[in-house]
Amino acid sequence: MHPLTEKRTLTPPLISIFILSAAALAYEVLLVRLFSIIQWHHFAFMVISIALLGYGASGSFITVFRNSLLEKYHSVFITNILLFGLSSIACFITVQHFPFNALEILWDRSQWQRLLLSYLILTLPFFFVANAIALTMMRFHLKIPLVYGIDLIGAGIGAVSIMALLQIFSPDAMLRLISISSIAAGFFALSHFNDRQRQLIASVLLLFMLAVFMTPQKWVDLRISEYKGLAQTLLIKDASLLMRHTSPVSQIDVVQSSHIPFRYAPGLSLQSPAAPPEQLGVFRDGDEITVIDHVTDMSSLAYYDYMSSAAPYHVHSSPQNILIFGSATGAPILLARLHGISRIDAVEPDKQLSLLITDQYADYYGWQALKDKVTIHTISPRGFATSDKNYDLVVVGMPGASTGGAAGVYALSVSYDYTVEAIQSYLKLLAPDGLLSITLWTSNPARANLKLFTTAVTAMKKSGINNPENNVAWIRSWNTATLLLKNTSLTAEEINNVREFSQSRGFDLAWLPGIKPYEVNRFQLLQEPVYYLAAQSILTQAIPRGSESRFVQEYKYGIQAATDNKPYFNNYFRWSSLEEFFSLPGQAGISMIGVGYPILLVTLIQASVAAFILILLPLFFLGTDKQEVEGRRNIFTYFLAIGLAFLFIELAFIQKFTLILSQPLYAVAVAICAFLVFSGLGSLYVQHRMKIESNIIIPVVLRRSVTLIGLITVLYIVLLPLVSGTLIAFPESARILSVFVITAPLAFFMGMPFPLGLATLQQTRPHLMPWAWGINGCASVLSAILAVLLAIDIGFNGVMLLAVALYFIAWLSRIERIKE
Amino acid sequence: MVLAYRGSLYLRGVQLRGRSEKRGSPFIDGMSSKRIIALVFIPLVFISGGQAVANEYLQQRQRMIADIEADVRATARYINKKSFSVHVMQAMDTVPRHKFVRERLRSRAYENRPLPIGYGQTISQPYIVALMTDLLQPQPEHRVLEIGTGSGYQAAVLSELVGHVYSIEIIEELGKSSTRRLSQLGYNNIETRIADGYTGWSEHAPFDGIIVTAAISHIPPPLVQQLKRGGRMVIPVGTRFQTQYLTLVEKDMQGAITTRQILPVVFVPFTGGH
Repeated sequence: MHPLTEKRTLTPPLISIFILSAAALAYEVLLVRLFSIIQWHHFAFMVISIALLGYGASGSFITVFRNSLLEKYHSVFITNILLFGLSSIACFITVQHFPFNALEILWDRSQWQRLLLSYLILTLPFFFVANAIALTMMRFHLKIPLVYGIDLIGAGIGAVSIMALLQIFSPDAMLRLISISSIAAGFFALSHFNDRQRQLIASVLLLFMLAVFMTPQKWVDLRISEYKGLAQTLLIKDASLLMRHTSPVSQIDVVQSSHIPFRYAPGLSLQSPAAPPEQLGVFRDGDEITVIDHVTDMSSLAYYDYMSSAAPYHVHSSPQNILIFGSATGAPILLARLHGISRIDAVEPDKQLSLLITDQYADYYGWQALKDKVTIHTISPRGFATSDKNYDLVVVGMPGASTGGAAGVYALSVSYDYTVEAIQSYLKLLAPDGLLSITLWTSNPARANLKLFTTAVTAMKKSGINNPENNVAWIRSWNTATLLLKNTSLTAEEINNVREFSQSRGFDLAWLPGIKPYEVNRFQLLQEPVYYLAAQSILTQAIPRGSESRFVQEYKYGIQAATDNKPYFNNYFRWSSLEEFFSLPGQAGISMIGVGYPILLVTLIQASVAAFILILLPLFFLGTDKQEVEGRRNIFTYFLAIGLAFLFIELAFIQKFTLILSQPLYAVAVAICAFLVFSGLGSLYVQHRMKIESNIIIPVVLRRSVTLIGLITVLYIVLLPLVSGTLIAFPESARILSVFVITAPLAFFMGMPFPLGLATLQQTRPHLMPWAWGINGCASVLSAILAVLLAIDIGFNGVMLLAVALYFIAWLSRIERIKE
Repeated sequence: MVLAYRGSLYLRGVQLRGRSEKRGSPFIDGMSSKRIIALVFIPLVFISGGQAVANEYLQQRQRMIADIEADVRATARYINKKSFSVHVMQAMDTVPRHKFVRERLRSRAYENRPLPIGYGQTISQPYIVALMTDLLQPQPEHRVLEIGTGSGYQAAVLSELVGHVYSIEIIEELGKSSTRRLSQLGYNNIETRIADGYTGWSEHAPFDGIIVTAAISHIPPPLVQQLKRGGRMVIPVGTRFQTQYLTLVEKDMQGAITTRQILPVVFVPFTGGH
């Protein structure tokens, strides 16, 4: 063989792998965005989790057709690149054209067929990309850690790139861009072909790139579900879209309805002398609505004073300064101004929402008259709460907050704004007689508000308030409830103010120091005065340390306090109530449980069944030799365990970093990037060691990496809560850097077990390599779902410890001793 | 009074069959005179076929009524009754629900579930329609306002029970098609319009009952003002395919307002000795 050709055949197409891996991860992130816009984000989670089983499917496919695929490796590689590029856009277009109605799934069986079809179609792109990478590892078997390392680093770069690019490009434009750039990856895999072939392949690739570029825009235009608020609003006469802004986290649409006003005013009292003024509707991902008021003069805002969120302004004798957490499109700022407060700090993590009122619609909102008195900070509430300033009023949420909590769609999203630690930090911001006010939507049966109450009371007790029953007032309107907390006892005057405010507006008292049972449940009648009963039980019953009040124990929903370790404020699922929910007639049960948690369970079941088939299927094509079968058991254990463990740790750390970085958007991008890049470097290090010290090194490196992963993880579980308080206060660049520093050692070692395992297999049983690849792919999918399910029950620390145990189990499986 | 409602049921039943028979004639006209056999037999087949379809819908409606009754028994604790008013159930038994859904969904019209009607709207689950109607305690002399006409089904059910129904729809296309449908089906005591429901319909106020099947962030004060003393307003809360709970707004004879939240299922939130 010609020396140059020989070198080419020994060098994997690393640039192609890099681009392909980056594109695949970017595509995964993009799909979540696309489905969150056209459907709902919990369904996005389900569809994409299942689609990622394409990695598992590729393992099964290659196991069966290994020899013929490897024989024509170079052509197969290029073909899979091309197919990934084309299917990435084509599959989304196809799925979008089969309108699947997530809301109807419990009523209509045909929706399940459409869902299944969506799964199958969206699995294809991931199947092709996994084929390309796995076959490259097999073809260049001496360089498995190298290929895998580049794969991980590419994916890491893909994660930050998509976040950055989504700031510039719309999601549909990104779909084209990903498709074109992945086809372009083919140009870097042509060295093996002769000149004539090269020209031909290059022309084909170019042609398809052009085809994707020329795809009609109306095919890729997003078709938002007709059941989403935005779609319905645009059906109203003279309603029009004024502005659309897309970002990596949301699509913001501003809508004007000149004929019929929005009149958005959550829980407005029937005693209100005025209706809301003209408003612009602001939709997030086509559904959650907030509004921008057209401020002409302060009298047009009188209606604000007739919502339960106005309570703190009537209870505090003379508030001078205020801190608002979640100023959104400016409603809480207007309420503060209505009460003449001229020192306003507002915290809003979503910069785009703030820009609407300070820039794009500044005149409409009357920002000129406000800007000297208001400072808007783009940071998370927790990030700002490290401030040592003091406020007369600290206000959290509402009016103008979005809905959704009651339907349970956020059950699985992590929120560090409503945990015991969060409320403790908010209480610290209060001036001596200051008030903390938290307003939430109500639901029936009551859930979120009761959880808030237990969380708040736990926080007060932890902050050294021994008799919280004297420091709390709680009122509710038709569909909102406002909780007032104070570090000291409420004075007689303040208590009287609460009574007067509620009475005059037809709001109900739920708790007040010295409240009488006949004072509750008078205007907005509930079957039973649940809020009062909960408050009475939680505040007045003597509860042993570490235990819960009887009410909390017996309530059908999980309303235990949310903590930083289990920050699932919006999840109220309780296993013990499941049977009762299922026994309800018709489809009523699901409206009682909320969709979030059941979707997670359904996804896990579907993924487990699919994974089981994908892992089992190839075994029919392999021999049944006794020794062979025994070895397979070890391989299965090893790759399943490390597949589960890797994502357990990665996901748990992403959540921990969300708190440190104060920006969920950056947190996810930075954490994924850091994890993948450093794991990639770990894998490259393995390649380096194998090159100089031969393959004997495998057991040694494996043992050391597993030990170090365990040690570092345990160390972090102890140390992170101690340092995160300090890190939150650092400037942004320092926080991002600290995340990289924290991640580096752990991820570096986590990048080793997988390539070590594959390299072992390559020496002993190369025909099982694709099977192991498939197992790992399936395990990763299961892991992402399981991590959330487990975190809800055992917390993120528990998930990490479990991961350590899994790494240990992997090591015990002694994969390196499997004989040929 | 019961008989009067029965009467209208039978009357509509006759009309329904009458139309089926009529539809047969163009079919016959198109036949060649030589085909005598066809002339004799095919109309017979067609007529009996039409009757079979009508009978099929009648049977389905009966099953729907049984489903609703079962749901009522199951939710007795929360709605404080073991059954809905006889009149309400008769109205549910009268209105041809299949005429309010799209052609392709007709076979499913009488299932106890909501169905899509286009424009992101649904025709509510029969049980919820019956529950909302029952909560209004309709009387023949009543005037009822509906916000959100949708398919017109709820208005049709109400029109069987009260003197006048006024219904407002915000989406133009939906408002036009439901108005056309209601007039074709002969509901003469329903007046519809395409407008903003928030401000009610002051020309016809006050109302004995109001139903608000639209997404709202608060109870619209103008609607409460247009509610008669002693009147009732019902507001379902939830998504298009899932009613989570209902709010019943009551204005007493002194004009004082209370709201009451009603869960459409049996659910005891806690088991403690409260």
